[in-house]
Amino acid sequence: MITTTDLKLKLISGLGLEDISVDDIGDEMPLFGEEGLGLDSVDAIEITLLVEKEFGVKIKDLEENSTVFSTPETLTQYINKNR
Amino acid sequence: MRIYDMDKKCYVAIQKIDEACKKIEQLSDALYCYKNEIFTTVYDKSQPALKSHVASFKKEYLEQTNMQFLYFTSGTTGLPTGVYKTKQNSRQQALSMISTLPKNIKFTRVITTVPFVHIYGVDIGGVVPFEMDIDVWAKENFLPEELALEAAIPNTLIITTPLFIKALNRIKKPVHFEKSFFITSTAPLSQKDAKEFKEHYRSSVMQLFASTEAGIMGYKIDDEETFKTYNCVQIGENDSKLNISSPFVTQKVLNKTIKDVVLPFQTEDIVEILGEHEFKLLGRSSNLAKIAGKRISTIQIENIIESLGEVKCALVKVRKDEKALRDEILDIYIESDIEIKHKDIRDMFKEVFGPINIIFKVYNGMEIIKSSVGKKIGFKEKTN
Repeated sequence: MITTTDLKLKLISGLGLEDISVDDIGDEMPLFGEEGLGLDSVDAIEITLLVEKEFGVKIKDLEENSTVFSTPETLTQYINKNR
Repeated sequence: MRIYDMDKKCYVAIQKIDEACKKIEQLSDALYCYKNEIFTTVYDKSQPALKSHVASFKKEYLEQTNMQFLYFTSGTTGLPTGVYKTKQNSRQQALSMISTLPKNIKFTRVITTVPFVHIYGVDIGGVVPFEMDIDVWAKENFLPEELALEAAIPNTLIITTPLFIKALNRIKKPVHFEKSFFITSTAPLSQKDAKEFKEHYRSSVMQLFASTEAGIMGYKIDDEETFKTYNCVQIGENDSKLNISSPFVTQKVLNKTIKDVVLPFQTEDIVEILGEHEFKLLGRSSNLAKIAGKRISTIQIENIIESLGEVKCALVKVRKDEKALRDEILDIYIESDIEIKHKDIRDMFKEVFGPINIIFKVYNGMEIIKSSVGKKIGFKEKTN
């Protein structure tokens, strides 16, 4: 089982989020869009590769998994469910 | 040709959509305008600063007759430049590009991963399938896994960016795309990445060399070192920078007012000319960065940072990181009496460029060295 903290640490290092710490990212903070962490579509691709490399989980289809990328919490749940 | 919305799993009409936000809408609107010769302005409306810049122009500049598209690109002066294109510019360009596609594949559809807010998206991603009269398939967001499944279907032409080639290389999906063909935009794709892609997926990538002002200039296949130019493109150099004469070059640009473009058009690309139709790209003038597919002037970025009252001077350099998916990384050197935080700059970028995650490093405590005419030429650590 991974925790949201494990995921956040990987996101911070993998996406080069230099000025952001684990505490700055809420478990239910939106990953994308202006209201949340402000990631973009390139980051979505980066995250799919990162999740596969670090946790061995493939995200194959955005449509079927439209909520996966919503928040650190939803992404962590998806990883734990599919590991 | 038809437009297939891969998200909704249906064909959509080619129609006029004034406030097109989604990719499918942008494509539908651009092709409607192209088909019916209706002049339209194309730009990324998600960039707040660009949106207000475009809105600041007099109506007459945005209602040109005999023109097809007005694209906006980041100018070297720090302000976006408008680039007018005629239908003939776009059509001839598409036909030239189509003539260089492999003859052994009978393309039945085009998949585009790019947004339709710039010349590459519209002129290549939209007009090319239109002129080939084959369906274009698009969706809002692609994942590498999804693209791999689509590319494995024979006779598919994929119009994408180097980012997806690098991403496909990373996932190493056990499929082959030998009956499909990829086209990527000008952003750099290393020879190593192109070779790895060819070897693993048994498919080829055509890298286009193009700019908004000059249109397409040349192309290279897979890990070739040099670019070939299209037959009607004449090349030359001035102080090692490429200049171009071709029917694809814009006739007019819009800065504060409309200005005619004189041929040959001078680019910021540093090249070595190897023959009448062959050149090697050595680099690009360092004052242009390519971020998330958008060309952004480093001068524009410096202006944004210097608008923070505490900053005396900022210098932005572009660095490439071949391992990263993103095109380029910015090194920002700051001369200021107080420390400027990474987050302060990130917040400003968000305000100006909208939802683009720009990767950058900040170096505080610098002294920016200027030439006698005030041009920023370097930096050194500030000594107290």
